[in-house]
Amino acid sequence: MQTVSDRLPAERQIEFTNVTKSFMIREGRTLREFANAIFKREPWGDEFRALDDVSFSVGHGETVGIIGRNGSGKSTALKLIAGVTAPSSGEVYVRGRVSPLIELGAGFHPDLTGRENVHLNASILGMTDREIKEQFDAIVEFSELAEFIDTPVKRYSSGMYVRLGFAVAVHSNPEILLVDEVLSVGDAFFQEKSLAKMHEFQEHGTTIVVVSHSPDLINTFCEQAVWLDHGHLMAEGPARDVVARYLESAHYTVPA
Amino acid sequence: MAGVQTVRKQPLTSSVGPLDLFTHLVEFWRRRDLLWHMTIRHLRGQYKQSVLGYAWAFVNPLSQMIILSFVFSTIVRVSTAENEPYPLFLFVGLVPWIFFSGAVSAGTDSVTNAASLVTKVYFPREVLPTAAVLTKIIDLIFGMVIFAMIMAYYGRVPETTALWFPVLFSIHMLFTLGLTYPLAALNLYFHDVRFLVGVVLTLWFYLTPILYPHDIIPEKYEIIFDLNPNALFVDAYRRVILYGQDPELGRVLLGLGIAVIAFLVGYYIFKKMESGFADSI
Repeated sequence: MQTVSDRLPAERQIEFTNVTKSFMIREGRTLREFANAIFKREPWGDEFRALDDVSFSVGHGETVGIIGRNGSGKSTALKLIAGVTAPSSGEVYVRGRVSPLIELGAGFHPDLTGRENVHLNASILGMTDREIKEQFDAIVEFSELAEFIDTPVKRYSSGMYVRLGFAVAVHSNPEILLVDEVLSVGDAFFQEKSLAKMHEFQEHGTTIVVVSHSPDLINTFCEQAVWLDHGHLMAEGPARDVVARYLESAHYTVPA
Repeated sequence: MAGVQTVRKQPLTSSVGPLDLFTHLVEFWRRRDLLWHMTIRHLRGQYKQSVLGYAWAFVNPLSQMIILSFVFSTIVRVSTAENEPYPLFLFVGLVPWIFFSGAVSAGTDSVTNAASLVTKVYFPREVLPTAAVLTKIIDLIFGMVIFAMIMAYYGRVPETTALWFPVLFSIHMLFTLGLTYPLAALNLYFHDVRFLVGVVLTLWFYLTPILYPHDIIPEKYEIIFDLNPNALFVDAYRRVILYGQDPELGRVLLGLGIAVIAFLVGYYIFKKMESGFADSI
């Protein structure tokens, strides 16, 4: 882990500088295609730019919404912040522990019990054994799964799955929380509880990045917003202004 | 980590220099809790759905031992040094081999199988193949239990030089890890790798003196075996466990040298390719 504190001012939590992310779209991945690519110099798939020269920054404790249509590069931006993928060019700086509320329960093992999965998932998110022990009861209580905690998670309903994943993520003491449309899962009661938890995070000064195509959610929940379209940064600034411009463009391109 | 604010450049930088190796290893060590949880997860998950459960870990080595002993001591008569009972001679090499081949195949698939995790959250990815390799230690332990029972059956008491075994095995495991890392990474890009690994492991098994003693190898082919680290390890296991001799220091150092180099090079390749993992799944 490189220490580059001089590169990121203290008030900033996330910084994208001229970030471009391109993917190779490949049909199959076998040695034959690879050999063709090497020996016959055939291009090995087509290049696709998910993000094109994007720069923005997120301040400490801010709640930022990333808005844009499908395929605009929103999820790629989240992945770059989460650190699961690297930029093709440009630089991404992140300060502090990141907890992704993305496809909750991704790391769950179906044959293991809820309890075992809490330990595993929390550990994946970077919690030490001591932190897990301290937080365990709170996690179970928040998930409302106390009576099923020793049941293998393959017996869980999808709602229960998400609740447990959410409970672990929000108790992992994140400094940056990444939210990808997950607030729309679970029943209304749990949604409300999740939203309340997010407001609690806001009050505690946790930085939150929300990805959504819902202008309403961004408007009510975020102070700042970033609008992406086909990998280009269209606007960045106060959520209200950015959302207004986004809606305006949607109005022209998709006549109602 | 809580409370301590660490600034990092993207943890996955595509330019990993050899000097960053140390930094990565420190970070890996810091996440040893995760390695432990991941290993336990594999272990618990492995046999959970089966009726016999962990008994399966006995079935594989036991069945191989019975059939190979039958074929090579009753049908084809392989003569062992000092007229060692063939099952003992075989098993002392077969058990570590079962570990080795099981670990390499499981490790090769480890990152590919964890696709949903790898594309969602960052953690040092070497945790996955390392946990896969560590999980196979349980097979080794079960194999050794069977071996101890066969020893008892032949009225043999372990030699004190058998205390070398953990040392030799640690070196063997380091070598196994070094081999597994680049295979796990390459398997993401080419699914051919897993099939290739299966073929190579089969050939490697026959080219390692497990079924037969090292000294019956014709001299002109000796070089193949001298270049085979697994032959080095199997010979050493036999020496310390069956023959009550200390391992030859020179050969231990050679094994250690090969293992350390394999580990560092393998780990380096893995880290170098890591930044593309999520994009290749």
